[in-house]
Amino acid sequence: MPWEFTLPNALLHTSPGGALEAAAGACDPAMENEAFAAFYSRSSRPLWAYLARSSSDPALADDLMQESYVRFLCAAGAPSLAADGEAAARLYLFRIASNLLRDYWRRPRAASIEEIPEEFFAAHGHAAQTDTQILLEPALRQMKPRERQLLWLAHAEGYSHREIAQVMGLSAASIRLLLFRARRKIAALLRASAAPEMLGRKS
Amino acid sequence: MMLTSCPHEKEVRQLIARGQWSAASPPALRAHVTGCRTCGDLVLVSEAFQQARVESAAAARPVPPALLLWRAQLRRRNAAMERITRPLLGAQIFACAVVVFAALGFAGFEARSGVDWFTWNFWRDWFVELPQAAASQWASLSAGPLTGSAWSWLVLGSALATLLLLGGAAVYFATDKQ
Repeated sequence: MPWEFTLPNALLHTSPGGALEAAAGACDPAMENEAFAAFYSRSSRPLWAYLARSSSDPALADDLMQESYVRFLCAAGAPSLAADGEAAARLYLFRIASNLLRDYWRRPRAASIEEIPEEFFAAHGHAAQTDTQILLEPALRQMKPRERQLLWLAHAEGYSHREIAQVMGLSAASIRLLLFRARRKIAALLRASAAPEMLGRKS
Repeated sequence: MMLTSCPHEKEVRQLIARGQWSAASPPALRAHVTGCRTCGDLVLVSEAFQQARVESAAAARPVPPALLLWRAQLRRRNAAMERITRPLLGAQIFACAVVVFAALGFAGFEARSGVDWFTWNFWRDWFVELPQAAASQWASLSAGPLTGSAWSWLVLGSALATLLLLGGAAVYFATDKQ
């Protein structure tokens, strides 16, 4: 069954109504709005951070974040906020976002320079960068997309290997090794980029 | 690359997760982290990513949740509409196919009985004689008992209409159940 046809369990409820209303699951909007708004306010910023850092593209992160929430609301197998808890719902949301990122990277792209918005360049400017951006951003750019996702989920979101495996669709055993390698690689890159920085500050 | 683990890794990880590194960590553990590559990497990477998370989260500009709810509802409605109209479309396609099939059969039958459909003269005569033929058919129908030719047209038309109606309904119910 396509995911559009049913509401997620998070917002599932029954009420009398027409065939179209029942099929669309549009009932008790006040309850739906409240539950979703609370969940959204707590999860949207971490999700955006994950997407923006994994893709290195804030505009893409905006789009994918919105699409992730819309898919979450329409998904048939989404965990219930009341029964499964917010942690499970958040994990499911990150899984949707990871799938969208993967689809984006798989898609062939052919964008001309005129099509890229001004904000993209403004966001990548070097005028007001923090230490983290100066050190972490170049290191992240040298990592593979999957490594960036793994590192972010493990060290920024604090997910366990089992949870990362759920989000990424990989086995928990392989996560341990992949994460170890990625951590070692980025640690070396961070140390390498921090050394000239320190020398510059001393002189 | 060898997967090496350190017995202190779990402890260091827990302190980082609670936000207690390095203020609340014992001096012996801090000294260990300075010399251990696994724990050193863990601390370095975790601190960098957690700082980046704070900065990125502050830079996020989430849209109002009502907009996303509206978009989701619109998408569900469109999907539901598509689901409802799909059997109707199937029935229409089936009905069109039956009409085309019947028309071809009829044309073939007429061609066998000597009518040449694919000539210019036939269609010119047909258009010229159509009003006269229709008038005479109507006169024969309203005047009294039907002739053999009028009966055949009436039966054929009724059968075709019934077939289309029943066929469309059958396809609709079959697709709807599925």
